[in-house]
Parts: sequence; structure tokens; C-alpha cells
Amino acid sequence: MTTENIRFLIVDDFSTMRRIIRNILKEIGYANAEEAEDGQAALVKLRASEFDFVVSDINMPVMNGFELLQSIRADEALKGLPVLMVTAEARKEDIVTAAQSGASGYIVKPFTKATLEEKVQKILLKSGK
Amino acid sequence: MPEAHATMANDEDLYRHVGKLTRQLHDALRELGYDRQLESAVGSLPDARNRLSYVSRLTGQAAEKVLNGVDRTKSELDRLASGAVAIAADLRADPVGIVASGRLMDFLDEVGASTARADAQLTEIMLAQDFHDLTGQVIRKVVTLAQGLEGQLVQLLIASTPPEAVPAAVKAPEVVAVGTDALEGPVVMTAGRSDVVTDQAQVDDLLESLGF
Repeated sequence: MTTENIRFLIVDDFSTMRRIIRNILKEIGYANAEEAEDGQAALVKLRASEFDFVVSDINMPVMNGFELLQSIRADEALKGLPVLMVTAEARKEDIVTAAQSGASGYIVKPFTKATLEEKVQKILLKSGK
Repeated sequence: MPEAHATMANDEDLYRHVGKLTRQLHDALRELGYDRQLESAVGSLPDARNRLSYVSRLTGQAAEKVLNGVDRTKSELDRLASGAVAIAADLRADPVGIVASGRLMDFLDEVGASTARADAQLTEIMLAQDFHDLTGQVIRKVVTLAQGLEGQLVQLLIASTPPEAVPAAVKAPEVVAVGTDALEGPVVMTAGRSDVVTDQAQVDDLLESLGF
């Protein structure tokens, strides 16, 4: 799959952060992205059409990132989807919880363009996309 | 001076009475558990202060980052503009010479390098806007703290005032749920904490140590 075809879903309750992530993804060659403002809205989009990669915040109203991750991993059609957490949650126990719940990667905010690029590429390489 | 004696005696009565009322109020508050509530309300203030300091620090840093990025981008643009004016003049005066000497090519290479540097600065300016997310999360916590404090003070006011004297408008504020309380959000003070990571390298090390 070429980088242009890889479809991202960016999940964050702050529109500025969604925009930042979207712009960086575009700069590193991934221009195909959609946005959702919380876990529940993300699940609706994920079930309505096909995505290849989820970049999600954790601390969100309605449905947080952990719940979204668990729902994705429990869903037969979605369970193989790479999910990269991009969050301000810096407690070690949260990082461990994310890893044990099946997160593909964990980035702590504030982050750099190089960090996002490195993690996205590493995860894509691992998932064979 | 019998009048002075009478006044002193009245004053003493008054002080005794006020002292007794204060003691009764204190006991009543303690019986109702309001002393603990007040203690917890006051205890939340240093947390709010730390969070607001974090907001102030982060917004200041973001503004510095943006202004530095703008300065650097402007200086790149200034250099390109004056270079273009000089090259145009040389091109008019000696079109063959400027190509043969390689100066035109050098300038074009410089345009490429300079625009790449300006683009990197614009990316930095964009990334600096992450303060909106980080401070927004912290401000939401402070709003919740302020609501809690307000609620406890209003309850105390209601409890210590005769019902008929409580203004109709005074009622405990509704606490609006803001996000998941179990989550901490941005760490505003890392000093003395071993349960949090402070940068991405520590996240990577932790995940690696767990075999991820």
C-alpha cells in the first residue's frame, strides 16, 4: 500500500491537536486522514468505513482512549487495526495499561514531528502496510 | 466611675456571648463534618495554584517559540528577497556572466535550502500550538476544583445561616463532569515523582523493558 492510500483516523477532543497531527501526517507523506472528537465518534466512523491506522488521545469525554482501544481490540472487524496513543498521560501505570490493552505505540505530549514520524513508520512496518 | 464599670461589664458579657456562639458554631460545623470539607476545600488550593502556574509557564513558552519561529522565518525571507534583487540586477547587467560564474545556480540552491529552513520553522510554530490542548486539560481540572470549592463554601454558608436569612439565589453549584477523573492529564509538577515519565525516551524505555 502506498503512503497516499493509508487512511488515518485522528481522535482527540481538542480540534487544534487534531489539526496539528493531521498537518504533520501530511508533511510526512500521509495526507489521507479523518478526524473524530472522542472514542464513541471514532467507533462510529471506524464501523462505517475502512481505516488503516488510528491515532488516539486518551483523556476525552464520552469515551476515552482506553475504552476506544479496548472496543477496537474486542471487535472482530477492527481488532487488527494499528492504534497509536498520543496523550498527555505520563503516569507509568497508564503506559503499561495502554500496552497491555493492545496499543501499537505510545507518544507522550508534547511531542515532535520526528517522534510521530518514527512511531508511525515503525508501526506500519510491523503491520506490513 | 459607675458608667465606665457598667460598659466594661457589658463588653465582657458581649465577648463571652460571642465566644460562646463561636464555640457552638465550631462544634456544630464539626458535628456536621464541615470542618473536614473546609479542610479539603482549602487543601485543593495549592493544587489549583500549581496548575495555573503550569498554564502560565506553558503559554509563555509557546509564545516564545512562536515569536522565535517568526523571527527566523522573517530573516530567511529577508535574505531571499534581497538576494533576488541583487541577482536580478546582475542578470540584467551580465546575463551570461552570472550563469557562467555559477552565481545564479548558487542562488537557486540557496532558495531551496532557505525555504526548507523556513518550512521547518513553520512546523515548529504549528507544533507550539499544542499548548492549547495541554493547558485546556489543566484548566478543565482547575474549573472542577473551583466548582468543588464553591460548592463547599455555599454549603457552609447555608448550614451556618438561619433558613429565612439564606438569599434565594444561594444554592450549591452544579458540578459539570469534565473528562475522566481517574486520568491525570498533563503532569504539572514532576519534581519528586517517580510514577511518571518526563519525556518520550522514558516511555520507549518503559515499553521496551516490558517487551513491547
